[in-house]
Amino acid sequence: MATLTLESLGKTYDSGASAVRDVNINVADGEFLVLVGPSGCGKSTLLRMIAGLETVTDGTIRIGDRVVNKLEPAERDIAMVFQNYALYPHMSVRENLSYGLRNRRMAKAEINRRVDEAAKILEIGDFLERKPRALSGGQRQRVAMGRAIVREPSVFLFDEPLSNLDAKLRVSMRGEIRSLQKRLGTTSVYVTHDQLEAMTLADRLVVLRAGKVEQIGTPLEVYQRPASTFVAEFIGSPAMNLLDGVMQGHALSIAGASLTLPHSHQGPVRVGVRAEDLRAAPAGTTGGLPVHLRYVEELGSQRLGHFDCAGERLIAAFPSGQALSDEMALMAPPEALHLFGADGMRLA
Amino acid sequence: MQNKRAIFGAKGLPYLLLAPQLIITAIFFLWPAGQAIWQSFLREDAFGIKTTFVALENYRYLFHDPSYLNSLKVTVVFALSTAALSMGAALILALAVDRMLRSARLYSTLLIWPYAVAPAIAGVLWWFMFNPTIGILPYLLEAVGYKWNHALDRGNAMTLVVIASAWKQISYNFLFFVAGLQAIPGSLREAAAIDGAGPVRRFWTITLPLLSPTTFFLLVVTIVYTMFDTFGVIDAITEGGPAQSTNILVYKVYQDGFVGLNLGSSAAQSVVLMGIVILLTVIQFRFVERRVNY
Repeated sequence: MATLTLESLGKTYDSGASAVRDVNINVADGEFLVLVGPSGCGKSTLLRMIAGLETVTDGTIRIGDRVVNKLEPAERDIAMVFQNYALYPHMSVRENLSYGLRNRRMAKAEINRRVDEAAKILEIGDFLERKPRALSGGQRQRVAMGRAIVREPSVFLFDEPLSNLDAKLRVSMRGEIRSLQKRLGTTSVYVTHDQLEAMTLADRLVVLRAGKVEQIGTPLEVYQRPASTFVAEFIGSPAMNLLDGVMQGHALSIAGASLTLPHSHQGPVRVGVRAEDLRAAPAGTTGGLPVHLRYVEELGSQRLGHFDCAGERLIAAFPSGQALSDEMALMAPPEALHLFGADGMRLA
Repeated sequence: MQNKRAIFGAKGLPYLLLAPQLIITAIFFLWPAGQAIWQSFLREDAFGIKTTFVALENYRYLFHDPSYLNSLKVTVVFALSTAALSMGAALILALAVDRMLRSARLYSTLLIWPYAVAPAIAGVLWWFMFNPTIGILPYLLEAVGYKWNHALDRGNAMTLVVIASAWKQISYNFLFFVAGLQAIPGSLREAAAIDGAGPVRRFWTITLPLLSPTTFFLLVVTIVYTMFDTFGVIDAITEGGPAQSTNILVYKVYQDGFVGLNLGSSAAQSVVLMGIVILLTVIQFRFVERRVNY
């Protein structure tokens, strides 16, 4: 059990390209932190730096009170679950689980106790003697988890561990990882590009963009108050709608509609609004956003209307059964609008 | 298995398409092999006037002949030493390349060159370097108090032909080992590093077991190479001597048949060699193709 501290952490390759820049994160003891971002944002590099598989060029990594920058991966007291599981194909499941313990010259009885316990937790006791190739994807995933658990490390690192599973299995494994981590109380860092996975797993999530931290917060904070248009579009499904608008004092005008907002600003803004915050303006009301319906996606529990709004795409969620017409007007409460400046950063 | 069966309209067409290969096989392999087998049952008199059918007499004689049994033993020592040296060196070089990021290509290309050298030339090359009179290496060895003379010393002679033969085969083994190493996912080594295995332990517990299909394949290929393709090396360096100490089976076939003109015995020896190749090939197909370690 330990905290994990990253201080002005950076990674610059010999070629001069920088993968990670000035990252400051404190992971509390037992916390589940998720690093999320599009591919190439540096999230995997960051995780591999924590693991000791990539060298650190700037800043420090601390696990507990120890600075681990220069330590070998084995000395950092971490365990990692790889995207492709990285199970040793020539060893049985039992040998896979015990390999790290045997390398550390642990007593046989203790190794067996830990392996059996991990096997019981993960329900893989029935195929301890099998080779990895005889296992299904989900079972391999469990073995990979087991290999991390038996080590009883200070920190778990997960590198997109669910991306090789089919959608249904991914959802159930997600739940298992979450409950397992809660039960063991081990500090964890989890990398994913899937925003839904990030939202559902994280105590706190870190949105990365081009090697820099864009926002850190609980899933709800990030969802409700995205720090930038990048985060706004990345977190949440469907993505947040963004429209061009102009503010003069408290008055906002977008696409021919105008609204009075609690906060004031001068000049052009990007206005964000979540699909579920939009609703159809009752007939006869004025001030609604005029839109043109392109098509409707039926999701069963709700229907998503895809609209054109002054040349921009707009998605709104409606309760199923709501009637939609080709030309209609949409409304949103002023407090549901997110305002971003021309640089994409949140204004209010 | 995928169904790869092609469909031909005319009955004769597939045979026509196969004909070039079948004709080559028949003329250059089946016919001479048949000749050798038939020859191995015959004995000629000293002047080549009369030929007698002696059935298995040539074989019976062969396996009671101390010089043939010696040649068998020499071949085993030669094949195993060459295999060990060429594969060991190739593996070390391949491991070095696998760790290299930048000049790996250049380095690999340079390492492949010896493969393009003809065995006889390789033999002459090493013969010069180890020549007791004019060679550089005996001169250096003398400085540390060792008297090298492969023309007189049996051990020296064997060492020299092993070095020359292994040197040529390193390139081939190296290429396969590099490919084998690159097929091992990097994440396995990373996982092992996190699991507390140092570089040496990682090599023995992860890399080597995962390379075992490659290793086994190369072992068979290298042994076949040492038994047949090293004729030029032996001929250029030692001609089987001194005192039969480097007279491997394939060289003895040549000596007894073309120098000694004992065609019956030479043919019988060829047939025995053929049997060994067939055995090695069977082993290769049965084990390498099917029984992979994981």
